[in-house]
Amino acid sequence: MFPRVWFDRIAGLLLACTAMVGGLLAQAPVRERELADRELAALLAQIRPTTDETAYRTIGWRNQFWPAVQEAQRLGRPILFWTMNGHPLGCT
Amino acid sequence: MVWSDQEIAELSREFVAVADEVYLLYPEDPGNLARVADRPEHLFFKKFGEAMPAGDWHHPGTKQGIYMIGPDGEYLEGRFAAGSEPADIRARLERALERWQVLRKQKRYANKPVPRVESAVPPEVADARHLLVVHSRDLPRGAGDRSGARFDAARHQDGGFLGYLAWAWNENWVPLASLDGLVAAGKDWQAVPDELVATLARQALVDNVRGQANAWSAAAVRRAELRVRQGPARGKVVTFTYAGEFELVDGARSFRGTWQGEASYDRQQRRFLAFDLAATGARTGGQQFNRREQDAGPAPLGIAIGLYQPPAERR
Repeated sequence: MFPRVWFDRIAGLLLACTAMVGGLLAQAPVRERELADRELAALLAQIRPTTDETAYRTIGWRNQFWPAVQEAQRLGRPILFWTMNGHPLGCT
Repeated sequence: MVWSDQEIAELSREFVAVADEVYLLYPEDPGNLARVADRPEHLFFKKFGEAMPAGDWHHPGTKQGIYMIGPDGEYLEGRFAAGSEPADIRARLERALERWQVLRKQKRYANKPVPRVESAVPPEVADARHLLVVHSRDLPRGAGDRSGARFDAARHQDGGFLGYLAWAWNENWVPLASLDGLVAAGKDWQAVPDELVATLARQALVDNVRGQANAWSAAAVRRAELRVRQGPARGKVVTFTYAGEFELVDGARSFRGTWQGEASYDRQQRRFLAFDLAATGARTGGQQFNRREQDAGPAPLGIAIGLYQPPAERR
């Protein structure tokens, strides 16, 4: 059994989807599949990170320390090292 | 995340930027430390750390942090457990580059341009035949709730680290040997093979929103069902629709819900052009490192699964 909040969220999402396609509904019948597609698209957009949230990927992170050190030595450039427990590029 | 600050991103491009797991480089426990003690990468990082000002290098203890290092391990800047305050990181990057301007002249470093590259995926999945990218996010718990909207709140300190208790989404990767089980043969619902569904459920339906969480054990999968059928086709491209349910339980830790999805598939080339699967439901409990001690739920969690396309394959 899901908690009440979950049903509230689904209901909210469905209402939002209905509102989004409201104009379209007024003009022409919308098939069941189209509604389902829009609901899925809204859900995926809610879960996935925004461009702002993934801007860190524009930095061009290498994924292994030692090859990056060797690259920096070849180039004669400094190293920026971001390190965590668990690989910072993917919490696996 | 500080790296999403535009000014910090620009400064970062002056460096060869690398992200890596700290535990394999400088383990905290003596046994594993002895195992890596003679490796060049460990010695390089150790040499750098021991040149850092007292307080910025954390020894003994975790070396998680952000460090700016010269090509021969020279100290430029850095601090363990840094990363939550953009102003602090921006200042450290600027000081590091000032020191670099002096160092490169002293040591006659070539200072060649750093090639612009796309950020890599973690090395353990980099060679996967098929790679799924997974995003998890806390979902709103009712009207006005901001669970899942992380940015401003996450900048608050949490014991010296980034404010993980305000963290609201994360990324994960699931390698697969084959996607064939996700292909529908016709317009009637058919079951996605159990083994593939179990792999998706165990590895992708993980609550790592606030930090590391292990995959589910096989015994934790009480139910994992996923169905697929063909939808409309246009030329060589056919669409698939997915639906299913899952129930994962391991003691107090659980995630129960449904998944739905769709994909487009090139029948001639036998390859997926797009694949999107969303799993939503209620999660409870937590693990050692996923910071749910004060947030055991039940609370809504959403997971989006997509097909990672390397830059060379993007259209």
